Amino acid sequence: MKTNKIRHIVALIAVAMIACLLVGCGKEDKEIYVMSFTNEVTGMVETYVKAKGLDKEGWTVKTNIVATDGGAYQTALDEALKAGGKEVPDIYGAEAAFVLKYTQGDFADFAGTYDNLGIKTTEEIKAAEIAKYAYEIGTRPSDGKIVALPYQSTGGAFIYNRDVAIATWGTDDPAEVAKKIGGGSGNWDQFWKAAEELKAKGFGIVSGDGDIWHPLENGSAKGWLVNGKLHIDPSRESLLDVSKKLKDNNYHNETQDWQEGWFADMAEIGPKKVLGFFGPAWLINYTMNEHSGDTAGRWGVTTSPVGFSWGGTWVVAGKNVADNKKAIVADIIRWITLDTTKEGLQYQWAMGTYNGGTGETKDTVCSNVVLKMANGETGFVGGQNMFEYFIPANVNARGDNMTQYDEKINNIWRDKVRAYVAGDLTRDQAIAEFKAQVKTDLGFDAE
Amino acid sequence: MKKKGFSYAKWGYIFSIPFVVVFCLAMLYPIMYTLVIGFTEYRGALPTLKALSDPFKNYKTVLSEELFRRSLKTTFSIWLWNFIPQIGLALILAAWFTDDHLKLKGKGFFKVVFYMPNIITAATIALLFSSLFQFPKGVINDILLEFKMIDEAYNFAVDPKITKGVISFIQFWMWFGYTMIVLISGILGISPDIFEAADIDGANGFQKFVFVTLPNIKTIMLYTLVTSMIGGLQMFDIPHLYSDGGPNNATRTAAKHIYAKGFSGAYLYDEASAASVILFIIIIILSAILFFLMRDKDAAILEKQKRQMEKKYRQEYKAQVAAQKAKLAELEKEAK
Amino acid sequence: MSKTDKMIIASGKKKNSAANTAMTVFVYVVCILIAILCIFPFWAMIVNATRSSAEIQQRAVALIPSSNLMQNYKVLQKYESSGFRPLIGFKNSMIISTLATVCSVYFSTLTAYAIVVYDWKLKRAFFSFVMAVMMVPGQIVVVGFYQMIFKVHLNNTFLPFIIPAIAAPSMVFFMKQYMEPSLSLEIVQSARIDGAKEFFTFNMIALPIMKPAIATQAIFSFVSNWNQLFLPLILLKGDKRTMPVMVSLLKGDIYRTEYGSIYLGLTLTVLPLFIVYFALSKYIIAGVALGSVKG
Repeated sequence: MKTNKIRHIVALIAVAMIACLLVGCGKEDKEIYVMSFTNEVTGMVETYVKAKGLDKEGWTVKTNIVATDGGAYQTALDEALKAGGKEVPDIYGAEAAFVLKYTQGDFADFAGTYDNLGIKTTEEIKAAEIAKYAYEIGTRPSDGKIVALPYQSTGGAFIYNRDVAIATWGTDDPAEVAKKIGGGSGNWDQFWKAAEELKAKGFGIVSGDGDIWHPLENGSAKGWLVNGKLHIDPSRESLLDVSKKLKDNNYHNETQDWQEGWFADMAEIGPKKVLGFFGPAWLINYTMNEHSGDTAGRWGVTTSPVGFSWGGTWVVAGKNVADNKKAIVADIIRWITLDTTKEGLQYQWAMGTYNGGTGETKDTVCSNVVLKMANGETGFVGGQNMFEYFIPANVNARGDNMTQYDEKINNIWRDKVRAYVAGDLTRDQAIAEFKAQVKTDLGFDAE
Repeated sequence: MKKKGFSYAKWGYIFSIPFVVVFCLAMLYPIMYTLVIGFTEYRGALPTLKALSDPFKNYKTVLSEELFRRSLKTTFSIWLWNFIPQIGLALILAAWFTDDHLKLKGKGFFKVVFYMPNIITAATIALLFSSLFQFPKGVINDILLEFKMIDEAYNFAVDPKITKGVISFIQFWMWFGYTMIVLISGILGISPDIFEAADIDGANGFQKFVFVTLPNIKTIMLYTLVTSMIGGLQMFDIPHLYSDGGPNNATRTAAKHIYAKGFSGAYLYDEASAASVILFIIIIILSAILFFLMRDKDAAILEKQKRQMEKKYRQEYKAQVAAQKAKLAELEKEAK
Repeated sequence: MSKTDKMIIASGKKKNSAANTAMTVFVYVVCILIAILCIFPFWAMIVNATRSSAEIQQRAVALIPSSNLMQNYKVLQKYESSGFRPLIGFKNSMIISTLATVCSVYFSTLTAYAIVVYDWKLKRAFFSFVMAVMMVPGQIVVVGFYQMIFKVHLNNTFLPFIIPAIAAPSMVFFMKQYMEPSLSLEIVQSARIDGAKEFFTFNMIALPIMKPAIATQAIFSFVSNWNQLFLPLILLKGDKRTMPVMVSLLKGDIYRTEYGSIYLGLTLTVLPLFIVYFALSKYIIAGVALGSVKG
C-alpha cells in the first residue's frame, strides 16, 4: 500500500514537471543571456539589440555582471556552466588572465562553437584578417573549433611623456625616442643608457617595476608550465635583476601598478617625472585618459625595446543557445568580433565613436581590415597616429606562452621579486621560495 | 505518582530541535563534504573524486608545508598583537563606563561611537587604510614628512613588519568597541549588592575592578576569549583585502593559506580541506584549554554535590517507598 | 582584608576629590581621542563621496567636503544598466538582514534557554556540539555550501541566507553566557506555578529579560548579514542582488576607477546600517538593566 502511494506521488510530480516543461517550451524564449565581469560586453549586446530594433520585436537582454572580486566571477560562471540548461549564458566574457580556462583548459568543453551558431569561422576570420594569436587563443584544442574571439588587439608599445623626452634629448619625435631607448632592438642595453641620461636630468624612466614586467612576461619563449612542471623562463627570471637595477639606481618611483602612486605618475604628480609606461592602446583609453590630469596631449607612442602584448577580452559562445536564438546570437557575436564595416563594433571601437564617443578613446582591434580603414590620430598623444606603433606590435601577441594559471603564478613571482629587491630575500631564496609556493598553492613541481 | 519536575526535561530536547534541524539541512553536508574530500584526490576547476592509496596523503602534504606552519605562526602573532591591546582597552573603557563615581557625561555617545568601526565593511576599511598608507604620496607619508619624522617617503607596503602591524591595528580598531559592549553587559549583570558591599568596605575604583568586577564577569570573559580566538584563528578578510597575504607572505594567515590552495589557480580542494580540518582541530584544542582554565570551579563542585545529593535522595525516597509499601502490606495483612 | 589593603583605601580616601577630577579629565581625553579614531574613516569616506576622482587622486583623504556629489551620483546612474539599482539592492539587503537577524536572535535565545533552564541528559553533549560547530573554519565549508545550494536549485533565492541563520552557534554561546547569571530559575518556576506553558514562559518571560542581550546581538547580526559579500556574489543575480554586491559592480572594471563614485556607493551601503544602528543604539547606551532580578 505504502509503496503504491509513493508511486502515485512520484507519477504526479513527473506529470507536473513535464507539464511545466511543455508550457515553458511553448512560450518562445526571446531572451539573450549575457554574463561578464564588467559592463563592457553586456553593454555591447544591449547596444546591438537596441540599434537593430530587436527590442521592438520582443527580444530582451538579461545581463549578469559579477565583479572579479576574489575570483567570484569565475566561481559564478563555473557553477552556471556546470548547472547546465537555462543557467548557461548565451554569451560570456573572459579576460586574457583567465580566458584559456574557458577556451583550452578545464572548461573548454562547456563552450559552444561559433560554427554551431552558423558563423563560417574559417572564411570570416580570413576575410576580416583577424590577428593570429586572437583566434589561436580562442581555438579549442580537442576539436580545433573556434569558441571565442576578442575585439581588441593588445600589442604593446612605449607611451612616453614628450616634455621629458625634449628636456632630456631635445626631441620628442617617436622615431628618435625609439633610438634613444633601443626600441625594437630586442634587448635592454640601450634602455639602461637612456635611464642613466634621464636620471642625470632628474627624471625616472618608468614608474615602477610593474611597467617592465609585461614586456618581460610576454617576451619569454615559454610559459610558466612546460609538460606540467613549473618552468622559469630566463626572460621572466630577469625581472629580479631588472627590478633591482631600477631600484638601486633610483631609475623609477618605486610604485606598484594599479596603485595610487602609479596613477599619480600619469598625472606628473609623483616625486619625479617619469619618461613613460609600457602598454597597449587600451592603457591609454582605459587608464591614462582617466588619470593623466592635465597632461593629456603631451604624450607620444613609440616602439618598445622588447615586443609584448597585454590583456584583452574574449567573447565566448554559450553551448545551449536555443535554435530560435542562434541566428541573433550569431549576429551579435559577428558584429562584435568579425564585422569589418563602418557599422561594425570594431570600426567604432577603433575610432573611439562607439556609444557616442568622440574619438578620444581610440583602440587597436583584431581585424586588420578594420585597422587599415581606421586612423589612430589621437588627441591624447598630441595628434600622433598611434596605430603606426601599436599595429606592428600586434605580431608580438601570442598565446603559446600563456597558461590558465598565469594570474596566480605572476602574483607569486612578483611578490618574491619585491621581497628580493627590498632585501628580505637573496636571489636564490627568492627563486626557491617561489618554487615552493607554486608547489604549495597550485601543486606544480619545479622542473 | 511521578514527580512533576522530571517531565520538564523533554522541553530541553524540543527547544533545541530547530538548531539541530537547520544544522543538518544547511551545514552537515558542507562539513561532511569537506571531511571526505580531505581523504581523497579532488582538485581542479572540474574535480572528480578519486580514492587515494594513502588516505592521509593530503594531511601529510599540508603538515610538511613550510608555508602552512608559517601561516599558523602568522595567524597567532596577528591575533595576539590585536587581542591583548583590544581586551585591555575594552576592559578599561568598560570599567570607566560602569563606574558611578566617575561622573562621566556623554557615556552614551562614546559607547555608540566606539562600536562604529564594526559597522563598516572589511572592503571599505581595506580601501581606506590602503589609501592612508600609499607610497610615495599618501596621508601617513605626508604627515611623517611634514613633521620631519622621516627624510623621504617610506614604502610601507613592502615592509612585512609594518604591514602585519597595520593589520593587527585594523583588527584591534574594528573589534575593541564590540568587546567593550559585551564586557559592559557582563559587568552590569553583576548584582549591585556586591558593589555596595565593596563600597561599604571602602574599596576604591581600581580595587573594586580587580576584586569584584573581574571575578564576576568570568562567563562573559570566557565568551570573549573563545569567540575572539576562534575569529582570530579564522582571520581572513583584512589580510586578504588589505595586503593579499603579502608582502612575501608576512600576512598570510591560515585561512588565507586555505583560500590560496583551494579557491583559486589550480583549486586544490583536497589539500585545502585537510588544512581546514587541521585548523579546526587546533581551534578545538585551544578552546578546550580555555574552557578548562576558565571553568567555574565552585559551580563544578556544587554540581557534583547536587548530583550526589539527588542520588542520595532518590535512594532514600526509594527506601521510603519500599518501607511504606511494606507498611501498607503489613496494614492490609492486619486488616485481614 | 590585609593591612596594606586598608592603607591603600585610607590614602585613597584622602586625595579622593582631587584625584577624581584629574581622573575624569584623563578619561575624557582618552575617550575623545579614541572617538576621533573611530569617526575619522567614516568622515573620510563621506567626504570622498563628495570629491572628484581627480581630487582624490591628488590627496586620498580630506576633511572638508567638495562639490562633486551630484557628479558622482550621475556616474553611479550610468551603472544602472549593469545592475546598480540602489533601491532594489537596499530592499533585498533589508529583507535578508532583517529576516536572518530575527531568526538568529529568536532561535539562539530559544536554544540557550533549552541549555540553561532544563535538565536533560544530552544537555552537556549538545552544548559541546554547539561549540564545535562554532569552531568550524568558515572558508572551506563555503564551497560545499554553495555547491549544495546550486544542486537543490535554491540559488537566486534568499533562503540560503535566512534559514541557516537559525543555527548561529556563537550567538547561542553568548545568550547562554548571558542568561546563566541574569535569568533566575525561580522566575521560571513561579511562572510554572501560575500555570504558564513552557513555550509561553519563554516568549513572555525569558525573551523580555533577554532584551538587552538580544539588541546587542541583533545589531551585530544585522551588520554582518548586511556586509556579506562572497556568497551573495555567487548565488544572487539580477534584481535579487544585495547592496554590497551592487557596489562591487562599480569597481569591477579595474581599468577605469571612478574613486568618488565608489566612495559614494560605499557610503550608500553603510547609511542604512547607520539608521538601524542608531535605532537600536539605546540598548547599547543603556546597557543591561537586570530587569526581573532587581524586581
